[in-house]
Amino acid sequence: MARPHVREFLDKFVRPLVAGGELHVGPPIPIPDVERWEMELGDASVELVAVDDARAAVLSTLVCSPPAFVLEADELCLAAGLHNALFLVHPRADAWTVSDKQRRRIIESALALVSRPLSRNRTRVLARHALLNHIFHLTRNDVTVSWWTGRARFQGQKPPTRLTAWKGVRRVREEVTVVDFDELLAVPDTAPVIATLLRRTPLTQLLDSHPGAPALHWEDAVFLLRDAELARAVAYRLVPDAMPRDQVVGPARLAAAFEQMLERAPDEADVRAVAAFLVHLNALFCLSEVNLREPGAKSPLISTVLAAEAAGQRPRGLATLFALPGALALVDARLSILPGIESVPALARRWSVHRAQTAELLSDAVIDALAARLRRHLRGAPRDPSEVIALPPTERA
Amino acid sequence: MALEHVAQGQTRFFTPGVAPDPRGILLGRFCLMTFATLEGAVSWFRLYSSEASLDELMANLTITKCRTVLSSREIVVQIPAVSSYAADRAARLCRLVGGAIYTGTAKHFVKYRDDRSPYGYDAVDIGAMPGNIEFMVHGDEFSQGYVREGDLPFARLLFRLSIRKLPGGEQLGNEDRGELYLAVARGLSDGIIRYLWRNRVEAQAGLFTPGSTSAFDDQARDRGYMWIRVRALPERILALFVGTPGIDVFKPAGVSCAVAVGYEHPIDLASCASVFAQDTFHVFWPHDRVDVLPGPLALSDIADLTRVDLELDRPRDPAAHVGGPAAAIGVELKLATAMGPPRRVVATLIPLEHGARLKRILFALPPVSLRGHRVAATERGILVVGSENLDVIPLGQLLCELTPGLLVPLGMDVVPRVSPEVLSRALGHAAGVVTVFTVDGRPFQVSEGSFTTLERRSLAKVEVDRVDAIDYAAEEPSAAQVVNDAVGRFALWGFPDAPDRKALPPGK
Repeated sequence: MARPHVREFLDKFVRPLVAGGELHVGPPIPIPDVERWEMELGDASVELVAVDDARAAVLSTLVCSPPAFVLEADELCLAAGLHNALFLVHPRADAWTVSDKQRRRIIESALALVSRPLSRNRTRVLARHALLNHIFHLTRNDVTVSWWTGRARFQGQKPPTRLTAWKGVRRVREEVTVVDFDELLAVPDTAPVIATLLRRTPLTQLLDSHPGAPALHWEDAVFLLRDAELARAVAYRLVPDAMPRDQVVGPARLAAAFEQMLERAPDEADVRAVAAFLVHLNALFCLSEVNLREPGAKSPLISTVLAAEAAGQRPRGLATLFALPGALALVDARLSILPGIESVPALARRWSVHRAQTAELLSDAVIDALAARLRRHLRGAPRDPSEVIALPPTERA
Repeated sequence: MALEHVAQGQTRFFTPGVAPDPRGILLGRFCLMTFATLEGAVSWFRLYSSEASLDELMANLTITKCRTVLSSREIVVQIPAVSSYAADRAARLCRLVGGAIYTGTAKHFVKYRDDRSPYGYDAVDIGAMPGNIEFMVHGDEFSQGYVREGDLPFARLLFRLSIRKLPGGEQLGNEDRGELYLAVARGLSDGIIRYLWRNRVEAQAGLFTPGSTSAFDDQARDRGYMWIRVRALPERILALFVGTPGIDVFKPAGVSCAVAVGYEHPIDLASCASVFAQDTFHVFWPHDRVDVLPGPLALSDIADLTRVDLELDRPRDPAAHVGGPAAAIGVELKLATAMGPPRRVVATLIPLEHGARLKRILFALPPVSLRGHRVAATERGILVVGSENLDVIPLGQLLCELTPGLLVPLGMDVVPRVSPEVLSRALGHAAGVVTVFTVDGRPFQVSEGSFTTLERRSLAKVEVDRVDAIDYAAEEPSAAQVVNDAVGRFALWGFPDAPDRKALPPGK
């Protein structure tokens, strides 16, 4: 059998992975084939350009000018690893002829493929995100065909026409079930591959997530907050113009990851950066209410999401998100407020309303407990940039 | 005795049988209104019927003569509390006529809401009711017990009230004269029917005898009269009928009653139609007479009632007439000097050789003058038609409009002076065509489609490129869907082991 060319893989799997469409999952890809494909990339310029154009289109809504990049071995390996992970949920991989040993081989090859070096290079991070931007939204249509004497289930495959013919006579019924990330990539076999893969694309994890996906490791992603353009893009994506409960889902997820970070031993500068970012998200909530008819009115957003009667339905991290400015005010006041907020009086007023309302709805105990946890990490007071640094006196000759 | 103001959202009350309605207003099943005299109650009915329908209250409406403990008498009107909106209206009108309104269900009625307590009042110290009291009302400073002395059915009240003379009521407007009834004495009926028929008044008539319930009526005497329904009765005939003895004119008030013209019932009869039985028609005459006619009224067209004169002794044979070709009486159309005042100039017919002059004038004219004019170039000349006065173009033969689209030279008229419709038909003139009479006597027609606006015609054709707008919006990403390809039975055969290598350390 002729070995598949990289062109087919790019056209049938990588391009739909980036731009959407039907991702065709075929036989698992051995590592030697991937190495051969790296050599063949030069012969697949048409498909390569299509993928890169699609990636540039994905990034065009994120950064002002997407960097120039060409799909190379790094992204090819990640895509091949994802392909092999998706093969693990292929109905053929569950057949009785497939032994545990063979499945283990596929898992190991997928892990080996996605275990690319972590990167903090902006271009590479953007390129990986563009490749994997749909990973949390992959779906598969499973069709269950039942007829008068039996039934059959087709996972991501079209039922043969011999089963669907004569619908009336044979009483054929087709039920389509859409399965998503939970059943595709969060099953025990694929979960380690996906966890490894997601650590390679922290920007994707910052921008998007799925309840079944592994939690964000802030230490892997904090460097992105030091890029002003990316940090701004992330912040704006996380606070959508939506219903109050949908508005806080993303920020609450990052705040929950921040809680986990405080349990580890992160660098103090990283804690400061993440805390400042979360305070910035709080300020965005205030900014969305600047045009309220009554400037001093209570925030409808906070009233909805922090309502005492809905305390059981709060997403994880929500209390930390809103309590953080108050806690930081007790630990390091400079981090607790947005720099220059006084220059926008309406925003400053909403900020004070938000803080008062948060203190009212979350008890002081919550804020004090968070402050105590922050104190463990924010020990050394950073030098105030306004201090004049005196040069050491020169020795007289 | 103390009344407590009901608070917003309050659900428990001392007064039995009351509850808050959806607006939070305390309301029982009934509203009770007390009036010192029957006139007060009638005034309330009069006001309410003019604003809203009494029919919705009719189900549980009672009028009772009551006596208080101090032996004073009052008229108590009880209405169902349909909603707090209806109760608000009743309360407003009741206070207007000097009554008091209460709400409750059975025996205890508490003061209905007012401006001081918008959610109503609750009586806090309701004690045991004395045995000789049938129901009790609780006001601001008092509680009053009542004993019922007798009921006054609403229907009886309605028929006992006299209709009132309205000053100037005989003069009816066009709408009021749309449908009227005439009660005509038997002796006059033939003449009136003929008169109406001759004057082309649409009318239906029937002979009715009012029902009688008295045994003392003279049964032998014919009390019937002709009942005629007339539509769109001219004002002069109405004035004639109103002033003629033996003819009474009535105006319908609702479906099943009518009131004499010039009079009005104190209560709006249209608002309490359910009082009248379906198979009756009530006629309210002046001087307290009410006739009950069998309903619904079965009336016949008066065109079939006119007198027929038969002369059977002198039969007429139909004479046969032979037709022949009609003699030609056509007269040739020609233009003649108009005798009437000069008409407005709406068009001009410019000879083709004067086209260059027209062009120069168009350059000189301001855009305002050009706007609205249309032009058509024909073999007989350039025809310019304007929406306003076209005397700004001093060229050619000025034309004025005889009828829309029919143009004749200024100061001329078409003879014989037939009506414009006849002229149009004779010329084959119709909408979408412009017919022009010229002084040489040879009219011509131009279709409206061949006209273009003068502004457009005055410009040479300008080539303009059409460009498409570019949409820079990012495309909505489509969903990614996994499709499992068929991989065959031996897809995993020969799948190699993964190399034993570890993940590289984080790069910088």
